[in-house]
Amino acid sequence: MLRRTAMWAAMAIIVLLFFLSVYGAFIGPERAKKFFNSPVLGVYWVAFALLLAVGVVLFRRLLRVPALLLVHAGCIFILAGAIWGSETGRILQKRLFGIDIVPTGQMQIYEGYSDNRVILEDNEIRELPFHVRLKDFRLEYYEPEHIYIQTRQGDAAWEFPVEVGAEYQLGSGYGSIEILRVFENFRITIDGDSRAIIDEPGTGINAAIEVRMKKPDGRVFTRYVFERSRGNIYPDAELYMSYDRVVSDYVSELQVIRDGQVVAEKDIEVNHPLHFGGYHFYQHSYDAQAAQYTVLMVGPDTGLNSVYAGYLMLCIGAFWHFWLRKPPKSAPAGSVEQD
Amino acid sequence: MEIKYTIQGLLIYVTIAAYLLALLVSLLRRPRAGHILYVAGFVVAVVSFSYRWYHVRHVPMQNLFEVFLCLGMIYPVSVFCRRVLHIGGRSADMLIGAVVLVPAGFFFNAEPQKLPPALQSWLFAPHVAVYMISYIFMAKAASHALWQLAGRGPRDDGNLLPPEEATYRLICIGFPLLTLGLVLGSVWGKLAWGDYWGWDPKELWSLASWLVYVGYLHYRYMFGKRHPRVNSFWAITGVVVIVVTLLWVNLSRLFAGLHSYGSG
Ligand code: HEM
Repeated sequence: MLRRTAMWAAMAIIVLLFFLSVYGAFIGPERAKKFFNSPVLGVYWVAFALLLAVGVVLFRRLLRVPALLLVHAGCIFILAGAIWGSETGRILQKRLFGIDIVPTGQMQIYEGYSDNRVILEDNEIRELPFHVRLKDFRLEYYEPEHIYIQTRQGDAAWEFPVEVGAEYQLGSGYGSIEILRVFENFRITIDGDSRAIIDEPGTGINAAIEVRMKKPDGRVFTRYVFERSRGNIYPDAELYMSYDRVVSDYVSELQVIRDGQVVAEKDIEVNHPLHFGGYHFYQHSYDAQAAQYTVLMVGPDTGLNSVYAGYLMLCIGAFWHFWLRKPPKSAPAGSVEQD
Repeated sequence: MEIKYTIQGLLIYVTIAAYLLALLVSLLRRPRAGHILYVAGFVVAVVSFSYRWYHVRHVPMQNLFEVFLCLGMIYPVSVFCRRVLHIGGRSADMLIGAVVLVPAGFFFNAEPQKLPPALQSWLFAPHVAVYMISYIFMAKAASHALWQLAGRGPRDDGNLLPPEEATYRLICIGFPLLTLGLVLGSVWGKLAWGDYWGWDPKELWSLASWLVYVGYLHYRYMFGKRHPRVNSFWAITGVVVIVVTLLWVNLSRLFAGLHSYGSG
């Protein structure tokens, strides 16, 4: 009887989570996060973990068949880790054990500077027990970059790789185009009457290319195509030109500094965070104007080991149980009572 | 809807045609000819996928177009099911193969995209691939569930499992893969976005579809084959939720979520 009730309770709690997930999908990530972290749902998560534990105790088969034990204990580990790492979990840890963890937030660090302040979602500022220094920040682009050219009427279009010195034919009536120079940071300096066009990389981003157009009638002129001002056109020109670069990576060269010593160092990029002192540092955003600072996302790893251990157990258990065991031709109907 | 006047498009249409023809011929009780056409369709599907791979120069599983292109190579699953699991339903597989290629051929944008930084991870290909394989098994399970509800099975040469059991066996194969896909997605989320769970709609739908199968497995453990129609209902619900996970969230753009770049 007890087993049957437990089994129905398991069904109910699983089906309930199904509906809650669907509801969560409808309300969007921010509200869903709040919803699933609310006190009522907190009770639900704890109940789920307890029910799994009760199941393992009640059903001898769950203890005796290692694969099934892995699956169910794995779920307990995941839930326990998630609860421990949640906001409520952190408050409890502070009250009970005095462990003070900085929750997830952001750090903005300029090149050559170091900082330990984390700005939380509610703009509260917390400090890490160590400093993070940004040696350098850089953007990397897919090679080759491309220039796109279109006629005013839109009846012809071209796309060419940007390679200095290359000359491309546009066909009858339009002549040719030669790539003369590529600028990382295009600047015009004015000194008295003389103007000079220079490239000043490292102080900003204003990517541009200098091209030379040769018309069939022999006219030759120079044009600048800027990444920033897409679709802009010289009033007299018969061609639209645009210069697009696709970012392939954002890289922040970081150092961790404690007591004046560099204790860790890593170039982080998307998908390759730095892990130090119980926190992960992620490439999050950057200074889009001048690439002078980076924005890191910082998050504590509380409970993560438990969650990952649970994942491993769950996966091993599931493959073991369903792939390696030869299942009975039919599951023993109603075997809940007999167990 | 648009017709793709490209080599890629042509390859897709040829595959669809071969699968549909294979189905037709099989239904007209010419199983050998049907089989040959099915294999021919598969070969074209492989060429089509390889062509895409060569063209975009990364594992082509980045957007819905590529994912569905991959799903079109269903033939090995048919062979595996028949030889190893004694599960039939090859004509249903031909139909599944053709149906999954229709969105790739007519609806999704095939414009190659550069891989955005978040997708550049070793976890990317396994995460998607594992999901795709499990989806195929789950779709096949649902087709057997439909047969069960209809009260008949795939044409039997005496060696095949009845539909209800076939459904169960297929879900047993697909469930660990579904679990692994969910876990890999989560670990990747941790690496890419800093959190192993972000509560975004795509994640929640995939959790929901996983839970349907968890529910099915417990239900079938409790009642065995006593309520075969209810068992079938679970299996079909699972695939409906999978389709929602795969398509609706991306296409509807109703929710602004982390996974929005996955769209066609
Ligand atoms: C998300 C949570 C859960 C997951 C992923 C899960 C997963 C599974 C799986 C994969 C099986 C094997 C089914 C089969 O052999 O066909 C199973 C069986 C079982 N589960 Fe769970 N389960 C969960 C929650 C629970 C809970 C809360 C209980 C508590 C009562 C429970 C009790 C059982 C029992 C008694 C069996 C039967 C074992 C046997 O084959 O003898 N499960 N579960």
